[in-house]
Amino acid sequence: MNLSFSKFPEGGLIVVIIALGLLLAIFGGSVRLPKLQTNPDGKRERVFETNAAGQKVPAFESVNKFFNARTIVQIAKDTSFFAIMAVGMTVVIITGGIDLSIGSMYALASVCGALVLSPYGPSGGGGATVLGVAVTVGVGALLGLLNGAMITAFKVHPFIITLGTMAIYRGIAFVQTSGQSIGGFPDGFRQFVRWELLPDLSLVPLIVMIIVTVVGGIFLAQSAIGRKIYAVGGNEIASRYSGIRVGRIKLLAYTLTGLTAGIASVLSLGYYGAGSSGDGQGYELNVIAASVVGGASLVGGKGTALGALLGAVILQMISNGLVILNIPQNYSQIVIGMVVIAAVLLDQFNAALARRRLLVKTSSIKKEVVKSGDTPVSLKPKTT
Amino acid sequence: MAFLSVENISKTFPGVRALDNVSVDFDKGSVHALMGENGAGKSTLGKIIAGVYTPDKGTIKIEDREVKPTDPRIAQQLGIALVHQELAFCPNMTVAENLLLGGFPTNSGFMDWSKLREKSRALLHEIGADIDVDTPLAQLTTGQEQMVQIAGAVGVNARIMIFDEPTSSLSTNESEHLFELMARLKQRGVAMLYVSHRMDEIFRICDTITVLRDGKHVATEPIAQTNRDRLIRQMVGREVLMTRPKHLDLQPGEEILRVESLSSTGKFENVSFNVCRGEIVGMGGLVGAGRTEVATAIFGLDNRATGKVYIKGKEMRLGNVNESMRRRIALLPEDRRRAGLVLGMSILDNTSLAHIDYFSAGGFVDRKRELTEVEKLTKRLRVKAPSLETITAGLSGGNQQKVALAKWMVRTCDLLIVDEPTRGVDVGAKAEIYELLDEVACQGVAILMISSELPELLNLSRRVVVLREGFVTGELPHEKFSQEAVLHLMA
Repeated sequence: MNLSFSKFPEGGLIVVIIALGLLLAIFGGSVRLPKLQTNPDGKRERVFETNAAGQKVPAFESVNKFFNARTIVQIAKDTSFFAIMAVGMTVVIITGGIDLSIGSMYALASVCGALVLSPYGPSGGGGATVLGVAVTVGVGALLGLLNGAMITAFKVHPFIITLGTMAIYRGIAFVQTSGQSIGGFPDGFRQFVRWELLPDLSLVPLIVMIIVTVVGGIFLAQSAIGRKIYAVGGNEIASRYSGIRVGRIKLLAYTLTGLTAGIASVLSLGYYGAGSSGDGQGYELNVIAASVVGGASLVGGKGTALGALLGAVILQMISNGLVILNIPQNYSQIVIGMVVIAAVLLDQFNAALARRRLLVKTSSIKKEVVKSGDTPVSLKPKTT
Repeated sequence: MAFLSVENISKTFPGVRALDNVSVDFDKGSVHALMGENGAGKSTLGKIIAGVYTPDKGTIKIEDREVKPTDPRIAQQLGIALVHQELAFCPNMTVAENLLLGGFPTNSGFMDWSKLREKSRALLHEIGADIDVDTPLAQLTTGQEQMVQIAGAVGVNARIMIFDEPTSSLSTNESEHLFELMARLKQRGVAMLYVSHRMDEIFRICDTITVLRDGKHVATEPIAQTNRDRLIRQMVGREVLMTRPKHLDLQPGEEILRVESLSSTGKFENVSFNVCRGEIVGMGGLVGAGRTEVATAIFGLDNRATGKVYIKGKEMRLGNVNESMRRRIALLPEDRRRAGLVLGMSILDNTSLAHIDYFSAGGFVDRKRELTEVEKLTKRLRVKAPSLETITAGLSGGNQQKVALAKWMVRTCDLLIVDEPTRGVDVGAKAEIYELLDEVACQGVAILMISSELPELLNLSRRVVVLREGFVTGELPHEKFSQEAVLHLMA
């Protein structure tokens, strides 16, 4: 079991998710939901039945509160916004940095996209949609690039730079919109993002989340740049001594984080149909928490895209789970805070175990060396 | 009866036996020198007595009573104080605050500033140091800082003081001041251990000399009964490490590196030398002579370096690592844990670190090719590990160094700079590294080797360039090699 975890570090997270799911399925109990059916016109309508007294009353069905398609897709959709940004955040965290401005980048990208889309109105065509999406994603990437440029050029700790831009970006969004929410986007755009496979099964945010995770995962694990990102976070000096352009790698990492904020903005614009400067308030904490729960280390050099996704899923399950368990929503922040700390403690414990195993392994190697007499003949091997 | 005695002390670090059954007696009111090459175990012995390290076995006795200084605080209470190179202070606080860091005088919970000043002044007065106690520590010179450290140490009524290379960062004047102070402490009956490489100092201020070699006790003799030559023989006196390197019998080829009046303010001045294909040129000097700085400047890590560096006759732009790598220069840095390896990454990832792009096609790493090539290299260098996925943090010093070297052998280079290639490496791996460097030189690579170990320098090099305080003081050809000649140029 230990071996498989060290080969597949996200295994532990999946176990936690399954455990949480079981917990919620068992203790969540069932709920009576109005029975719905699709009529021949494709409209959804309630099912009525005749009761014992001969009256026609709305029919209900009893489903498990957690384990039903609607709830699970709901959680998945809620997760997707955070998870997409958590993948980007993980890239920055691997380099040993942090980006506090992610919620503000999300808001400003949203607002810029909204300002482009809104004038076209509901009748706007595909061209408008493409333009709007491009602007939203582009603004996100640009804001990230700005963060990265300032961090590398001024050699100031990323915490400070992004603390500043967190206020600046949101401020710009507020000035642009005078604090108003901006809506009225092309219908085509909204319908695309809200596309449903089955009634109430809106899958686009989910699919985008999976694409971002897969692309991010392959990028980090397999690409040359990905390897350099881990190296920079693991030891910046050794990386520089190896000819890695540390500044460029960091610049890229922050740009990618901004890009993921832009992608999340596109989904939120399409899904909710409006953008405002107040969007994504406090998201930085959720996103960083998801990365950290997913195994990213703030010291740098550690973290995965899949971990970030699973971390976001765990946090969202806990937050929704409290509702399912009838625990007042007010407690969710307390629980999530505790989960973040517990996750890091668990990770440290695991690392300590790994170190101990390593020590045992290396001491056995040394013995083997002495035994095999592998040292050159001109020397007497040192007896240990 | 000795005042302080250590008996049968042994200490092992991962991969290295630092001390092996060492017993030494130290007397009251005398200065006892601990000498030996790098890695001989002298600092380790000092740190064990001062409670920084706990010995694996052996006992420490003060006035025939066994003591167990298991951490520096306990050692301090026993009257043992360590003055070491890494000055451990809070630079943001004043001299007075630093001196009494362990126990601020307070008045119902508030800082008692006047008492703090008074007490710290008394401490400085005790050793005759004239420093304003309200100065922030960051504004002191290294010498003054050391005085503060000594004042703090003496203040806790030290009976035993351990000086670990105290003069390595001091000016001549400051050193003189330190020696005067040591003479005063001697009169007060303090037992002093003095770790240093500098012969002149040892013969001036010490009463007894103990020589350690590879963690073993070699000799303890009164100063009057020994001399420089005898000491050097004792320090070096192991069997010859390796046969004559093969590259010495080949003709060196074209000039690969030519350095002309290379300077970097505050580090080194006007350094000129050259290295040809197929030869190993040694670079000697004391710690702080500027050798590492010259190496990093050639590798493009010093933005402020001026002068000219030619690679194969063509001038190279300075201050850009990628430019240096394009000219096929490689550097094995001095501190492998800090600059040579990403300790949290595997052997595989570390070996290919400098050449990720070489192993990639279309932006993706070709893991198969990477694995085959790295495996070939680690086999050739005889890296001992369970697998290529092993994290380098857990490897022994020798294996770590081999990985750091393998990194630069992925693709052949024209100039390989190795900075202390065998530091913290056990004897077996040392010989392997020597053989490897010889082999690489024979294949036509120009090697510049920085080393503080004289036998290594003299055995392996065709020529030795010696630096002192940032200047080249001389260059010796192989025919004129002798420890004395090099030492003469070094100090």
